[in-house]
Amino acid sequence: MIDGLDVAVEHGSLLSILGPSGCGKSTLLNMINGLDDVTSGRIVLNGHTVSARSRSAVRIGVVFQEPRLLPWRTVRDNVRLPLDELDVPRAEADRRVRHYLDLVGLGEFGDYFPLRLSGGMQQRVALARGLAIEPDLLLADEPFSALDEITARKLRQEFTDIWRATGRTILFVTHNIREAVFLSTRMLVVTARPCTTHLDIAIDVPYPRVPEDDRLFEIEKQVTRDFIRMEEGASADRRPEGAAV
Amino acid sequence: MPHEHGSHHRDGAAPVVPVAGETDLVAPERRSWRGVWLRALSLLSLLLVWLVASLFFSPTVLPGPVQVVAAMVGNLGEPETYFHLWTTVYRVVAGMLIAVAAGLVIGLVMGLSKFGEEFLDSWVLVAFTVPSVVYGILAILWFGLNDVAAIVAIGVTAVPAVAINMWQGVKAIDLSLVRMGRAFHFSRGSILRKLVVPQVIPFLLAALRYALGLAWKIATVVELIGLSSGVGYQLGYWFGLFNMTQVLAWTILFTIVLLLIEFVILKPTEYWLTRWRPSVQN
Repeated sequence: MIDGLDVAVEHGSLLSILGPSGCGKSTLLNMINGLDDVTSGRIVLNGHTVSARSRSAVRIGVVFQEPRLLPWRTVRDNVRLPLDELDVPRAEADRRVRHYLDLVGLGEFGDYFPLRLSGGMQQRVALARGLAIEPDLLLADEPFSALDEITARKLRQEFTDIWRATGRTILFVTHNIREAVFLSTRMLVVTARPCTTHLDIAIDVPYPRVPEDDRLFEIEKQVTRDFIRMEEGASADRRPEGAAV
Repeated sequence: MPHEHGSHHRDGAAPVVPVAGETDLVAPERRSWRGVWLRALSLLSLLLVWLVASLFFSPTVLPGPVQVVAAMVGNLGEPETYFHLWTTVYRVVAGMLIAVAAGLVIGLVMGLSKFGEEFLDSWVLVAFTVPSVVYGILAILWFGLNDVAAIVAIGVTAVPAVAINMWQGVKAIDLSLVRMGRAFHFSRGSILRKLVVPQVIPFLLAALRYALGLAWKIATVVELIGLSSGVGYQLGYWFGLFNMTQVLAWTILFTIVLLLIEFVILKPTEYWLTRWRPSVQN
């Protein structure tokens, strides 16, 4: 499904991968996370090759499209869940849970159960959970696409602030052009079937950014134009050759 | 963003994002005394209907509530009463243990494996349909007039109910949580223990309550048919003497014991285990 995709993520960067639905973005994330195997090519993280068999030495945190919190555990225990799995000592785990809940602005809500929180708050808990394992790489799989636009907009702003505060490396998958432009230091536009890099754009707009920034808007327009041309080209390619005769 | 919350978390981070407030919360469940009043009122109206009805019949057909409660209080003064109550409760609990253990295994097998489901589902449904008196008669014929017969009959009656609930419970598991666990590289044991089992617990509780309801009924029936102790035996004894007052007195006493078990053990357990769920009714 994925073919000829060549990606390098620099340490501390926020790289977006923008692609149409069904181009295997989730498969890519699974391969990076060592859940699916690559058929050809390889994935190298910090000098270690990743496969489904050899658990990589690189620690990876994940934020999904939905919060995927355990409703029967408090916010605090949800953030702690992956820490227990990594056998992080008790005191250190306590410290991290507190630290990352404060970081996402939910320091006062540790004792709440997730279903009492709004969707945006739940997604922030999920972000705290992904960050609490202090990952070498954070994978974000369209984390704001299920939220309403106002909440999503607020969370995007917070997301870059949190990213800059923690200095983590983030790989952000999305199908929202504006979101990718607004968030990332660099963005890749990939094509569907085969999944190859179509565009590789560095976005040199300093943080903190405002969504209304003209420079971001220009990049967005340019990417949108290109994206549409690429989509039209792809559908032209798909026409069976015999039909032209 | 500077914020007051940052200062009192010495180890914590100063929030780089606006701190969330109460306004972002989903409204909590409101608990009121209204429900209690309504239930009391409902009970009171039943007593009233009973009282009025009893005026039109002779006490051998329908004795009034005062008479029945007096008989019940009189029974409570006799040690034998507690022996019979305890005997029935003991049989029910023992039978339930069998039912939960067997039903859990069968239900899990049916929920987790296609083979198990296809191999077992028709049998579970047949076992569920067979009248429980049949299990009672068979158990007495095979095991004799003793506790074992009663316990086996109760167990066998309740197994399909537990199995069916667990079967549905396993099917209702939210797999996206399991995928979350895999993405964070949880061990298989942790995925089962921390992500799967807690999701099945509400179904287990429902199964338990349903099975308990069945168990009391079959217990009294088996005692009535063939045993010489327990609430069912007492009901049969007083029925033989055409003593309607005592039959009702025992029925009410036993019902009170059941309600105590429900409200002292089951309800609080359920409330504790499902306290994370916001109420649907409000």
